[in-house]
Amino acid sequence: MAGTPGDEEALAVAFAAHERWAFTRAYREYASLLYSVAYNVLGNGEEAQDCVADAIARLWRSPSAYSAQRGSLRSFLVVCVRNEAISRRRRQSRRLRLEERLAAMPVEHQELEVGDPIERDRVRRAFAKLPDDQRAALGLAFYEGKTHTEIAAELNAPLGTIKSRISLGLRKIAASLGSDGGDR
Amino acid sequence: MNDAHAGERAALYALGALDDAESAAMEGHLRVCAECAKLVGEAERDVDTIASLETRRRAPDELTKRVERLLAPASRQRASWPRFAAIAAAFVIGVLPSVYLWERNAAMRDAMLSQSAAMDRLATSEHRTASFRPTSEALAANVMYAPDGSWYVIVVRGASHALQVAWMHDGAQTMLGVAVPHGRVAMLYLPKSHRMEQLALMDGPRVVAEAQLP
Repeated sequence: MAGTPGDEEALAVAFAAHERWAFTRAYREYASLLYSVAYNVLGNGEEAQDCVADAIARLWRSPSAYSAQRGSLRSFLVVCVRNEAISRRRRQSRRLRLEERLAAMPVEHQELEVGDPIERDRVRRAFAKLPDDQRAALGLAFYEGKTHTEIAAELNAPLGTIKSRISLGLRKIAASLGSDGGDR
Repeated sequence: MNDAHAGERAALYALGALDDAESAAMEGHLRVCAECAKLVGEAERDVDTIASLETRRRAPDELTKRVERLLAPASRQRASWPRFAAIAAAFVIGVLPSVYLWERNAAMRDAMLSQSAAMDRLATSEHRTASFRPTSEALAANVMYAPDGSWYVIVVRGASHALQVAWMHDGAQTMLGVAVPHGRVAMLYLPKSHRMEQLALMDGPRVVAEAQLP
């Protein structure tokens, strides 16, 4: 298991070298996190499974997608799966709003929810601390999965401004979450 | 920074706020630009911080089995023979050539992007050359590098599999990247911002060659 920094580094190096065991171990290590990330974007268990499997398959077919310079393997995998999920969501012909998807979602008893409501409140509080313009731009990107072009059109602001707001907002919110005692 | 570099688009990429074409272009660039890979890596950590605090669910066993099948060596996969034979025939006739070509094309594209950047540097910039001292006679490797340490090109001949490239400094090893063989030669292009005086080729934990860069 990639529990210690040394283990994580060795796993990352082997993953970068496209070692089969490293792909298997990385998946086992982060399976629930990756599935949760996909589920939280897609709101559907079957689609989330397809998304994670496809993302791993795509990485397995791309020998140089991850390099040591990228840093955290875990964060790289989270973003790969999340981007795959957002891309899928955009491709869906039906565009249900989040609330409608949640209302239509069947209860899946076999998947125990292990999230902590207090942790989710921390995210909400961190978002609330952002200036209005950054919160709007970052919220549309993170929660709605919109592209920067769509966000610029929706907020009626230049693309460059939107890029800056999202970039600044992301750094601030991560710093805020990292500094108020949270532990990933 | 020119248009190819990530800049503020690092955050957009990590958040999934680029469209599919922009994301694909960014992924291609990240394979050849270590500085942007680092920048995007930092944005990925930020997104991970937020995403990790959202609702967690346990990965279904079905998904785990599916991924393990995907990553398992082909010889370990079991199927009843008639069904296996039918699938195998269809696979050989229809799917295998396209998957093979797709994988070959993706690998070739990655290699060409990296080699293109390396060749451009070698053709247009003043550089020095140092040889690696290998522990095996089958291996031969050189490093070409800018005198100011702004880029390095590592070329390895005779490697049967991927080797890691490490910077040896102050009694420590910092992994820089992986030289993956395409044919008989493996090449790795490393844009850097600092001078490195000793590099090593690693096969797992074992140093197989070292080079001093005067």
